[in-house]
Amino acid sequence: MPEAAEPQNDFSLDPSIPAGAASLESILCTEELRQRPSRRPDHAQENAALVALASALAESRHAILEVLADTILRVTGADSSGLSLLTSDGATPNDEGQRFYWPAIKGMWSEHVGGVTPRNFAPSGEVLDRNCTLLFRHFERRYLYLLRFSPAAEECLLVPFYVRGKAVGTIWAMMHSDRRKFDSEDQRLMSVLGQFASLAYQTMGMIDDFKAQIKAREEAESRLREMTRVEVAVILDGLEAQVRTTEEFHRVVVETASDTVVSIDHGGYILFANRAATRTFGYEPSELIGQPLTVLMPEYLRDLHKAGLKRYQETSHRHINWQGTELIALRKNGEEFPVEVSFGEINSDGSRVFTGFIRDISERKRAEEKLRESELNLRQMTETIPEMLWGATPDGSVDYCNTRVLDYTGLSQREIQGAGWMKTIHPDDAENVEQAWARSVESGDPFYFEFRGRRASDGKYRWCVSRALPLRTSAGGILRWHGTVVDFHDRRQAQEDLRNAQAELAHVNRVMTMGELTASIAHEVNQPLASIVASGDSCTAWLAHEPPNLDKARAAACRIIQAATQASETVQRLRALFKKTTSITTSVDVNIAIEDTVSLVRHEAQRNKVVLRTELEPGVPSVRGDRVQLQQVILNLTMNGIESVARLDHEPRWVVIRSANSNTGEILISVEDTGLGIEGEQADRLFAPFFTTKPQGIGMGLPICRSIIEAHGGRLWAAKNQPRGAVFHFAVPVTAPGA
Amino acid sequence: MSDPDCIVFVIDDDPLVRDSVADLLDSAGFTVRTFGSAADFLEGEHPDLPACLILDVELPGLGGLDLQAELTKSGADVPIVFLTGRGDIPMSVRAMKAGAVEFLTKPFRKPELLDAVTEALRRDREGRLQRSETSELKKRFGTLTPRERQVMALVVTGLLNKQIAGELGTTEETIKVHRGRVMSKMGAGSLAELVRMAEKLKISS
Repeated sequence: MPEAAEPQNDFSLDPSIPAGAASLESILCTEELRQRPSRRPDHAQENAALVALASALAESRHAILEVLADTILRVTGADSSGLSLLTSDGATPNDEGQRFYWPAIKGMWSEHVGGVTPRNFAPSGEVLDRNCTLLFRHFERRYLYLLRFSPAAEECLLVPFYVRGKAVGTIWAMMHSDRRKFDSEDQRLMSVLGQFASLAYQTMGMIDDFKAQIKAREEAESRLREMTRVEVAVILDGLEAQVRTTEEFHRVVVETASDTVVSIDHGGYILFANRAATRTFGYEPSELIGQPLTVLMPEYLRDLHKAGLKRYQETSHRHINWQGTELIALRKNGEEFPVEVSFGEINSDGSRVFTGFIRDISERKRAEEKLRESELNLRQMTETIPEMLWGATPDGSVDYCNTRVLDYTGLSQREIQGAGWMKTIHPDDAENVEQAWARSVESGDPFYFEFRGRRASDGKYRWCVSRALPLRTSAGGILRWHGTVVDFHDRRQAQEDLRNAQAELAHVNRVMTMGELTASIAHEVNQPLASIVASGDSCTAWLAHEPPNLDKARAAACRIIQAATQASETVQRLRALFKKTTSITTSVDVNIAIEDTVSLVRHEAQRNKVVLRTELEPGVPSVRGDRVQLQQVILNLTMNGIESVARLDHEPRWVVIRSANSNTGEILISVEDTGLGIEGEQADRLFAPFFTTKPQGIGMGLPICRSIIEAHGGRLWAAKNQPRGAVFHFAVPVTAPGA
Repeated sequence: MSDPDCIVFVIDDDPLVRDSVADLLDSAGFTVRTFGSAADFLEGEHPDLPACLILDVELPGLGGLDLQAELTKSGADVPIVFLTGRGDIPMSVRAMKAGAVEFLTKPFRKPELLDAVTEALRRDREGRLQRSETSELKKRFGTLTPRERQVMALVVTGLLNKQIAGELGTTEETIKVHRGRVMSKMGAGSLAELVRMAEKLKISS
C-alpha cells in the first residue's frame, strides 16, 4: 500500500503525527462507495481473473502476489495496484512485523516496488486496525512521506489481505486522476480476488512446508538406509561364513525356496519339509515329518508310488522321469492340483534319501487351458462364420478350407487341398486365377481375383471374388496365407442391370437431344441431297447438249458421288447416336469424337448466331470407353452452351471445345460458352436430376453426363467462365498401355 | 430463258452445293459467279448488268437474311432467290416479305430453280428500267424553278389554273405561263402523263 519511505530499512517507527498533517476524517471517503453508481459484475472477467490466479499456484508464492496485483489492475481499471504486507526484515512477510513492504506493484507505481511504510502510521495500518475496506482521497495530505511517490493518488481503495485468518496486509488499487472513481463493484472484486489469493498464498505456503518435510524425511531415510545396509552386510558376512561350512547353508536355501522341498527315506516317510509346504500343501512342516509321502498324493496314485519306489530300490529302474514330471498332488484340504516334480537321491550314511522339489503349476495349467479354449473358439469361429475362408502354405498350396467352402464347392477337405480347388473354377477363368495366385505367392502381394466358381447346390457357375493376405513373421518372411471367397454374383448382376438401365436412360437422353437438333440434322442431310439433285439435273443437261459436254457431265457425276458419300457418313453418325446399344468399350480418339459431334451441331450454332470453335491438342492419347456415350456428353455440353448463348443478345457469342493431355494420365475436355453462366445457387444443383434452367428441359442431361463420365473413371465439373458464361470440364483416364 | 447479258450470283458456304447449283445454271446457259460467304460477295465486283442472287439462308457469319437486309438498306435492289436446308415457315415469310423472289428448300429440282432465276432476272430488268426512267424524270424535275414546282404539284392534284392562282396569290395568266413551262420542261404531252410522272417522283402538294 501506498505508504513508503525511501531509506527503507532505517525507517522511523515514531508514531508521532507530523505537524500539518490532515485529519484522517478529511481524507477518508469510504462511505461514498455505497452512494456511487456501480457497474454490473462481469462474471466472465472475474472467472478469467480467478483462473489466472489459480494458474499462478503452480509457480511460487511470489508469483501469486504478482498475478494478484496484475489482476486487480485489470479488473478495476485502476492506474496502479499492489499489495502491502507486514514484514520484519522488509523482504519477507511476517504478521508480527512493524513495517509494511510492497512486494508487488503494477501500473504507474510499478517503479516503487519494494517500498516500505510504518505499521502504525499508514493507510494499510488503518485498514488492519479497523479490519475493513477503506477508500482514501489524496492520502498524502496526511501521510506526508507519500508525497515523494508520484504520481499522486487521487483515490486509493484498500482491502484487507488475510493469511490463515490473520490480517497480514492489504491489497490496493489507485487512481491518479479523476478519470474514474472506484465503486462498490471494485470493492467486491478486490475482496473476492483477495480471498482467493489469500487461499492460494496459504496453500502455496503449505506446499512449501510439505516439500521441506518430505525432503527432511528423505534425508533421514537415506541416512537410515545407509546405516542398515552396512549392518546387514556385516550380519550376512558373518552368517555366510558360518553356513558355508555347515548344512545350515543348505537349509537356508531350502527354507527360502519358493518350491516345496520334501525329503523321504527309503521307506517313503518324510524326513524333512520346508516352509513352502505350508503354502503349497497346507501342512506345517512339523506335521509332515514322519508321515508317508503318499499323504501328499491322491488316493489313486499312492499304490503306484509305493510300487515305483520299491521297484526303483530293487532294480534302480525309474518308472517316471525324475526331472520335471507332471503329477497330481493333494492338499491338506483334499483339493487335488497339478504339480511339477523333480527328484534327487542322496546316499547318506548308507541309507538312501530322496529329495523332491515340488512346484504348484495350477496357474500354468489354467493358462494352458485358456489357450486351448481360445484356440478352440477361434476354430469354432472359422467354422461357424458365414463366410468362406481358406488358408495356404507359403508355397501357395491350400491346406485349409472352412466348412462353408466345402459346402459351396461340394468338395471334401482332402479333395480341395493343394490345387484341388482349381476344379471348381470356370474353365475360361481357371488359367487367369492360377496365374494371379502364382504371382501373389511369388511376390507376397495381396491376392485379389474375380472369377466364376461352381456352386455345388445347383451346379451353376457364379461370380466370386477371392482375396488373400500373407501372414508374415516379424522378420518379414511369409508364414502362411489367409484368404476369403465371396459370392457376389447377385450384386454383380444388379450392377449390370443398373448399367443397362443407365444405358437406356442415356439413350433416351440422346434421342431427346437429337429431337432438339432436327432442324440442324435436316440441314446436314439436305445439303448433300441438294448437291446430288442439282448435279443430277446438270449432268442430264450436259449430256443433252449438242454435242454432249462429257467433261462437265463427268464432273457433275463426281460431285454426286462425293455428296452421296458425305450424306452417308452423316447418316452413319446419326444412326450411332440413335441406336440403342449396351455399353461397348473401345479405344476412343477424343478429337475425332469431338469433331464428329461438332458436325452435328454446327448448324444449330449458326442458326443461333453462335460461333462454335474447337481447339484440340493434336495427338492426345486415346481413352478407353464407350464412343457413343462420350459423344453424347460432348453433344449435351455443347448444346447446353449454344442454348445458353442463344438466350442472350450480347457479344461475344461463342462456344469453344478444347481437348488437352493433362500428362497425369488423363485427357481433359472443356466446353466453354459466353452464355448466362452459373449462378451460385444453381452450381450446387446443376448435376441434380430434374434441375433445369431451360423452358423445355427435363433436367436429366447433366446427371446423365456425370454418370457416364464417372462410369469411365473420370470426373465432370462446372466452373465460371471469364469474363462471362460457364465452362464444363471433364477428365477421363487415358487407355492404359497394353490395355 | 438464258441471257448472256445477265449474271447470277450464287452464295453458299457448302462448296458442293455451290458448285452444283452453279453448274446447273451454267448448263442452262446462265453466266454465274459464286461466293462462299456474304462478306466475299459484298467485297466482290458487281458489273452493271441485270442480275439476281441465289442465297443460302444458313450462311456462317452474316446470314442470308442479314445480307438481304443489308442490301435493301444500301439501296441495292437486287432480286433474291433463297435456298435453305430446313425451310421453316417464319423464316420464309420474313424473306418473302422483305422482297425475296422465291424460297427454295433443298433439295430442289431444275425447273423450280430455273423458274425462280428467270423470274428474278425479269424483275431486275424491269426494276432497272423503272429506275432509269425515274432518274430521267428526276433530271427534268431538277430544271424546274421553285415556282414551277409549286405549280406542278398543284396541277397534278387536278386544280384549275384559276384555283391555283388563288392558292398562290397571283393571276391566272401567270399560272398559265408556268404550266406551259412545266409541261415542256418535263416533256409531258398531257396532264395525264404529268400526273403519272408526279406519281413516279412521289410528288405531292
